[in-house]
Amino acid sequence: MTEQIFRETTAEPRTQSVPLAHVSLELGHLYMEDFEEGADRLREHFARVKPWADAAHAAAAVMSGGGRARVSTCFLVDDYFTQFSSPRELVPLLLGEAKAAGLEIDYLARESACAQADGVALAAAVEGRLVESPAEGSDGTRPGARETGWLSNGQRSPAAGTAEAMGRVVPWTPPSEAGARRHSIFVDVELWSADPRRTWSCPFLASVWQLARLGLLRHRGNPVLEPRGLRPDQALPETWSALPPLLRLNDSAAPFAAYRTTSVLPSRFLPIEHAVRVILGQVDADSGALRQVAERAAGEGIQVPAEIADRAAYVFYPGP
Amino acid sequence: MTPPDPGPQTVLCGEVRTSVLRTSEALTARTATQLLNLRPDEHVLLSERPNLRVVSPHQLTGVDCRLPALTGGRPRAVGTVAVRAVLTEGRVLQTSAFARLVPGVGSHRKPWGHYLLRPGDIEPLARHQARDVVEGFLASAPLPGGVLNPGSIAERLLDEVLRHQLLDQRAPFKSGRTRLRWTALPAAEGAQASIERFTVAADGLRTVALRTPSADPSAVAALCEDLALHDWLLTTLLALVERSRLGSGDGEAVLAALRPLVDHLLHLWMPGARVPDALAGVWETLERRPGFSRQWQSLVQRIRDQVALRTVPLSRPVMARS
Amino acid sequence: MLVFAASDKGGTGRSVTSSNVAYRRALAGDDVCYLDFDFGSPTAAAVFDVPGASRGVAAGGLHSHLQGRHTEPHRIDVWAESEHEELRYRPTGSGRLVLVPGDRDGGEFAIGKDTVRRCVNLFLQLESEFDVVVVDLSAGRSYAVDMVLEATAQPELARVLSRWLVFHRWTHQHVIAAHGLVFGERGIVAGGVERGHDKGALRDSIRFVRAAVPDPESPLWAHVPLAQSEWMRKCDRDLTELAAELDLGYARLLGKIPLEPVLQWREQLITDEDVLASKVAGMPTRQALEELAAALVDEEAWERQ
Repeated sequence: MTEQIFRETTAEPRTQSVPLAHVSLELGHLYMEDFEEGADRLREHFARVKPWADAAHAAAAVMSGGGRARVSTCFLVDDYFTQFSSPRELVPLLLGEAKAAGLEIDYLARESACAQADGVALAAAVEGRLVESPAEGSDGTRPGARETGWLSNGQRSPAAGTAEAMGRVVPWTPPSEAGARRHSIFVDVELWSADPRRTWSCPFLASVWQLARLGLLRHRGNPVLEPRGLRPDQALPETWSALPPLLRLNDSAAPFAAYRTTSVLPSRFLPIEHAVRVILGQVDADSGALRQVAERAAGEGIQVPAEIADRAAYVFYPGP
Repeated sequence: MTPPDPGPQTVLCGEVRTSVLRTSEALTARTATQLLNLRPDEHVLLSERPNLRVVSPHQLTGVDCRLPALTGGRPRAVGTVAVRAVLTEGRVLQTSAFARLVPGVGSHRKPWGHYLLRPGDIEPLARHQARDVVEGFLASAPLPGGVLNPGSIAERLLDEVLRHQLLDQRAPFKSGRTRLRWTALPAAEGAQASIERFTVAADGLRTVALRTPSADPSAVAALCEDLALHDWLLTTLLALVERSRLGSGDGEAVLAALRPLVDHLLHLWMPGARVPDALAGVWETLERRPGFSRQWQSLVQRIRDQVALRTVPLSRPVMARS
Repeated sequence: MLVFAASDKGGTGRSVTSSNVAYRRALAGDDVCYLDFDFGSPTAAAVFDVPGASRGVAAGGLHSHLQGRHTEPHRIDVWAESEHEELRYRPTGSGRLVLVPGDRDGGEFAIGKDTVRRCVNLFLQLESEFDVVVVDLSAGRSYAVDMVLEATAQPELARVLSRWLVFHRWTHQHVIAAHGLVFGERGIVAGGVERGHDKGALRDSIRFVRAAVPDPESPLWAHVPLAQSEWMRKCDRDLTELAAELDLGYARLLGKIPLEPVLQWREQLITDEDVLASKVAGMPTRQALEELAAALVDEEAWERQ
């Protein structure tokens, strides 16, 4: 297969659309540590999520203007930082515990899909779309996040000391948040490490995850990370890599992508999602995709915030 | 009669950096698209007629800095500068950074998302005179730090692309970089695009002041890339011909010096090939005076004559001797 | 071609000699660029007699460029800006002569990944524009030496020809010091290998230049007592032996510059006017500089092992 990566300038670049639900509701995010604590941990998690999931459905109904709200649910399993268990073992367990709590999981995603899915390097593409919010005085000459691997929400504190031998001593100055209200909450996010091969950070992959759920990812105009189901005769595979990156578990589910997202997570995810906000606030998302979402929302009479980060809502329940 | 105050005007401004691609062989279309694949999820644009031209997707760089100004204060402005890379015939690499200064709105910086939705726009946070910004921008002195400087953004991208592992870092001839800094103010109602100024300063800096009916920054930037490409070709050819000590020195050395020009440069001259009709008047003016193509043709003729003369086999009896 | 001028100690005439070599290469028709990487003491512009830049430039010199404060380093066209009588007019057939100065009052600075990246970009750009790029490095083991060793070890510069000139005076201490700078435990070769250079290739790209060499046979010493001239000859023989022992001998020798008051005191380019008209500089000095400039691009001189 030869992939078309160029086109004659006369050809109009076209962005394909994706179907959209009202709300994409994330029911959880599973890491090895959680899994190792056994099925009880999952049961407790879903039990805590259930009331908030009901609330999310109710809120979606209000948003849709009293009509039938399209809400799809999803669940993310880590197979990027550590691989554990297997789809054959884990998926039935997961679905069973969710069902016991009265929840249904429509889509199951693998965390590695946020880095690379179906041969497309999603994380690298999003990195290429980072446009840093400039600190006052920046004329664009400083090296950017793509070179350093760090992205902040303001201006860093300069390194104290002298830069040159016998030079002037630079006094310490505090970092500052861009657009801070009186006082700063400065955050500096590590996007990746390179030891020895590039590993994307958890907040960066979580940002890709949010963009996917908001229907804002494209690869040369085409949708990416499209959900796929298993054929009726197809068993769950033994390895994670054999599982579709985004698995559809419910054939009658609302579309995976949505105008808004809601995620119900334990409170330890709060710093990660703060970092996600910092990243999403500096992503120059595909303009065709943004336009399609806006037009569709207007057609349905639905308000969608202009800022991508404002389209994501969270519930942090107490506990690790 | 004084013309009525045009009110706040949109100013387009940018800078183009031009360099030879440091590779022994010109790149093919396929390799060129790999080189310029700056945003993996977007298309690289390729056009093969009338010559091979490959254009990268845009990148954006956020700025919050002062606008250049010759006389007045330097107003603060916030927004993004677009930058792209262009490769012609797999041989000449250009990076082009540009922005549109929209007439002032508000006096406070807005949330960053506001600017992300207006890629390539810069919004001043104080009143300014478009003319003053243009003059300040084109003043040939290096722009001070903290002042809008698309040139340094273009330079960063140029260095980045030139270090790509696809390149063997062996250019077929020595040559310098040129910088073309440009501005465009709106043309009068119904008027054609025109060029008000084209200056050649020392240290490879050229400045161009335009009036254009189109406010499409990308199209105006493409015109300036075309101007910069041909100015670079002429500059480079002149320098190389001078170095070859045409008309003196030994024949072998002159031929060795001229050979890469014939192989790599002479076929690149194609002024205005892709410039839209609305902007074509600019090239017409430049062809009348100073007459880019006239100078090019005469240089090319000199080179061809020298090559032809010096490749006459020496073994042939010299008829003129008597 | 990148040419790195290094020395273990100060006072070897490294800057003034390498400037003269740059000047001679330009006279021979090469386009030449001279970079002042003597970060602790950026004074190369003085040698070229460029007004307002003798202690570096006020803005945009190499210090601020390499530390990322300024995108384009300031360039000085020596033929256009020098105040030196002889340099103001570019001779027919000569190449360009460009000086890239440091910042006024700049000092040594620590080297990070970004600095090395900018240094690689700078070398690549200048190498694609000029035939010869002379990089005048701070004396001794310095950050400047570290940075260029690191930069030239990067894959992008692997195919760019690099040559090293190590300057030393013709004394016992200087010969030993120069040996240490090149072959010592923390010398150029060891430092280069640590950064990924091939040991053999790096060694073969290094040549020594003996500076301020008194010539016992020179007419200058014709009238000294016999005992003294005997002693001078013996010293010269002993040094030659020591140099050979330390691998600084003939095979690695690129040039010898005689002891020359103009180089020592005036620290300027030696023009033909200085030699022929005002006669403040000696013919042997001019000849030595010319030979050194020729040897720099003479493949045979670099193939000796």
